[in-house]
Amino acid sequence: MQQIDLSSMSVREGNQLLRKLAEQEDVIEIINPDAQHHIGVGLTTATTVKVRGSAGYFCAGLSDGAQFEIDSNAGWGLGDNIYDGTVVVGGNAGAIAGVAIRGAELIVKGNIGSRAGQVMKSGTLLCCQNANFMAGYMMYGGRIIILGQSGERIGEDMSGGNIYVAGKINSLGSDAELIDLPADELGSIMEFLDKHEVPFTGTFQKIVNAGKKLRYGTAEPDVRSIPFFNFSGNADYWNKKVQEDIHIKSQIGRYRIRGYGTARALPHMSDIAFRKKIDPDKIDPNVVSTVNMRTEIGGINGAKPLKLSMPVMVAPMSYGALSASTKRAVGMASTLSGIAENTGEGGMSDTQRDAAEQLIFQCLGGRLGWNIHDMKRANGLEIYISQGAKPGLGGQLMANKVTPELAEIRGIPAGIDLRSPSRHPDILGADDLVIKVEEFREATNHELPVSVKLGAGRVRDDIKIAAKDGFDFIELDGMQGSTGAGSAEVIEYVGIPTLSAIVEAIEALHEIEFRDKVQIVLMGGLRDGIDAVKSLCLGADAVAFGTSAIVAGGCIACMRCHIGNCVTGIATQDPVHEARYTAEVESQNIHRFFESVRWQIAAITKALGYDDVTQLSKDDLVALTPEAAAITGLPYEPEHRDDTDTIAIRAS
Amino acid sequence: MCGIAGILYKRGGTGRNSPTGSALLDMLDGCQHRGPDSTGFALYGEPSDNQLRMRFFVGTGNDAATAISKIKEVLAKHSAEIVEDVVIGNNYRVVVNFTGDIQKLSYDAEDVAKVISIGTSLEILKDVGTAHEVDDIYHVQSFAGTHGLGHVRLATESDVRPEAAHPFWATGFADIAIVHNGQITNYWKMRRRLEQRGFEFNTDNDSELIAVYLADKLQQDTSLESALETSIEDLDGTFSFLVSTKNEIGYAKDRLAVKPMVMFENDEMVAIASEEVSLNKLFPGQALSTMEPAPGTYQTWHR
Repeated sequence: MQQIDLSSMSVREGNQLLRKLAEQEDVIEIINPDAQHHIGVGLTTATTVKVRGSAGYFCAGLSDGAQFEIDSNAGWGLGDNIYDGTVVVGGNAGAIAGVAIRGAELIVKGNIGSRAGQVMKSGTLLCCQNANFMAGYMMYGGRIIILGQSGERIGEDMSGGNIYVAGKINSLGSDAELIDLPADELGSIMEFLDKHEVPFTGTFQKIVNAGKKLRYGTAEPDVRSIPFFNFSGNADYWNKKVQEDIHIKSQIGRYRIRGYGTARALPHMSDIAFRKKIDPDKIDPNVVSTVNMRTEIGGINGAKPLKLSMPVMVAPMSYGALSASTKRAVGMASTLSGIAENTGEGGMSDTQRDAAEQLIFQCLGGRLGWNIHDMKRANGLEIYISQGAKPGLGGQLMANKVTPELAEIRGIPAGIDLRSPSRHPDILGADDLVIKVEEFREATNHELPVSVKLGAGRVRDDIKIAAKDGFDFIELDGMQGSTGAGSAEVIEYVGIPTLSAIVEAIEALHEIEFRDKVQIVLMGGLRDGIDAVKSLCLGADAVAFGTSAIVAGGCIACMRCHIGNCVTGIATQDPVHEARYTAEVESQNIHRFFESVRWQIAAITKALGYDDVTQLSKDDLVALTPEAAAITGLPYEPEHRDDTDTIAIRAS
Repeated sequence: MCGIAGILYKRGGTGRNSPTGSALLDMLDGCQHRGPDSTGFALYGEPSDNQLRMRFFVGTGNDAATAISKIKEVLAKHSAEIVEDVVIGNNYRVVVNFTGDIQKLSYDAEDVAKVISIGTSLEILKDVGTAHEVDDIYHVQSFAGTHGLGHVRLATESDVRPEAAHPFWATGFADIAIVHNGQITNYWKMRRRLEQRGFEFNTDNDSELIAVYLADKLQQDTSLESALETSIEDLDGTFSFLVSTKNEIGYAKDRLAVKPMVMFENDEMVAIASEEVSLNKLFPGQALSTMEPAPGTYQTWHR
């Protein structure tokens, strides 16, 4: 048996040694753990790890197939996202024990803290004494067995799985109900207890989802909706779209859900212009080869950066909201154009991985599709906090799109109206976030960039927190960004415009002297290379396109992305509809769009007198409206409004 | 956003000259990852009758000289007789003989300088930097006493300045300090209520509010225990906080249990921290029998 002494090395070194030893040793002992965090994180080799003392946060997290025995206590997030294996804790486990587990057997001999098994998908979590409040919060599957008492609100908003409690149940959570225990289930529990040598006599009460909140009550009537482009930015107070909204709300008695972003006219990139007059006749047709656009994102703290052929990426969009074929086409286009793709919520399929040469893997609060194996084959890891189109809210995926295949990859029950959690189980503040970021780095041997996706809200504060928490880059999303499904009022009225967001973000970084310690990727309703260059001038290190890429690939903007019957085969999981989409064709269209962006970035950068995109600065811009001037601090020079040059570039 | 720590050595234990300073230093060093921006300590020495220990932020150089002369004017006005005084880092520490109204003295003092703490036994040491950086300037390690609190801070909504560091003193009330992890969402409502009753606030920080709220209760002859009980009702938001008075420490935790807290208790001491890793710093290599307080609970200990 080999020993790892954590009093003489860091946990990072200890974990590296553990992975190495695990290849040969059957049993490895960790001494002097002293409640340090991240012990055994990311271990995917079958071995037995004996922790001689207490472990801190995320012990055995993101592991697969190993056996962990912890003599004393475990901190928050025991066995986070574990795939398979066994974890036995001799003492107590802190809050969110068994968070987001995808399988495995977790046995805690003492008490477990609050929100145990939050968003768990599968596996068994056994608590031999008492559980604190909200055990099984938002769980999707698997089982929790509690031999003692349970705290308040057990099973709060669970949508699947089973909870068994032998002792007193303090109170039931929202949409949870008590049912009789089927005889065969008692047998299965006793078998589990016997296997782990846990003595018990008695019986259990069973708690399951009551099924009252899994679907919206009344569906929206099927109408031919008015395409986004027909009313977006239109200032008419009463218009056809307002009329349609009122009509439908009169039928369903609640807010509407739709796809796409805000339709309101907001200060945006078109309200600023380039200070220098650009003569389109003087642009060299081969300008692309004369401007350096190569950009590295995410390498600032020593991780392997994303290598972009231009300061452009694809915005995060999920397989789920979009069809597999669409994700494939977008991925192929990203490879053709030498930029990076992003999985969005809902996991990484082989198709996506194969299509995109550089792929960022996104982790959301529901941990849908999140797992160690896909983390290891990603090129970047991203913690989603919120999205520009609906800051503070989780994703929505209506039942039609939650097919068995999709449910499988996300680890959830099929056929529910999936309302993803708006918050992470283990990120309740900037202090927890630090520990989470470190967990991801540990799990992937500090090789991948870790980024955060922030919907613009309290930009100044949020950016400072993100910077201090050590992210390599921030994907900042303004309110003009789109979504596959969001409540209409939130899409229209919540959020901060992209223009304000980037200005505040850069100011915030300067205030704490962090401008050179984190990179910013801006997104949210950016339409072309002109918007991209303006973003770079305002301080972004790169930009990302979502809506434009989808439109380039055939989207007609009917805004019915959430329904699942997308006529273009983009926002659907129905094979009949998806058959209309040809990834080979659309990937070329999306690729050509990206190449038009490349040409525009090169042409404008050159016309402004530079040969490298990093030379662009705020001094190259003026404001066309008083609002834009107030937001950006740029000089108000409305006379530039008549410049037709940029329009010509746009048409090129 | 932060990490908190507290320790109290019981009477039956190692006694009144216990190494509170070095214990808190170790505990905060263990959870520095939760807040690298600033660090602070509230330390309780043996109380001296009719003497007040006062600490002020005075800056350095000419600013310090000006602030100190103004402080001395206020002290003279309140017949506070200086026994000893010294400048340490950006602090002015002064011990005075004083028998008057502490609240009036502190409100007047606050008009001329930033008061860090006033007490017969309490002294707060806090500044930007890590636990060890603060110790290098203020010599926390050498501090002996019965109990104390500590805090590491990640500045989120306010600047990184020494005066924004924790612990917070209950402005106007001797010997009461607080460290808090979380956010009080009914801050302004609670503050307006207290201001209407004549209390003054020196910051917009919600931790100061908790301190003054508890101090007010204590002044009305409520026990610390019942003050903590009502605080869980009255304060809205997410919180795990530790409070200390001349003779006690206590904790309260919100009903949602959003902010972590772990405690260890034996015959000699009680130690409470955001994470067990801080507790283990006191007992390297040992497996401790710890517990995580339940949501909506509180408890106090007497020295």
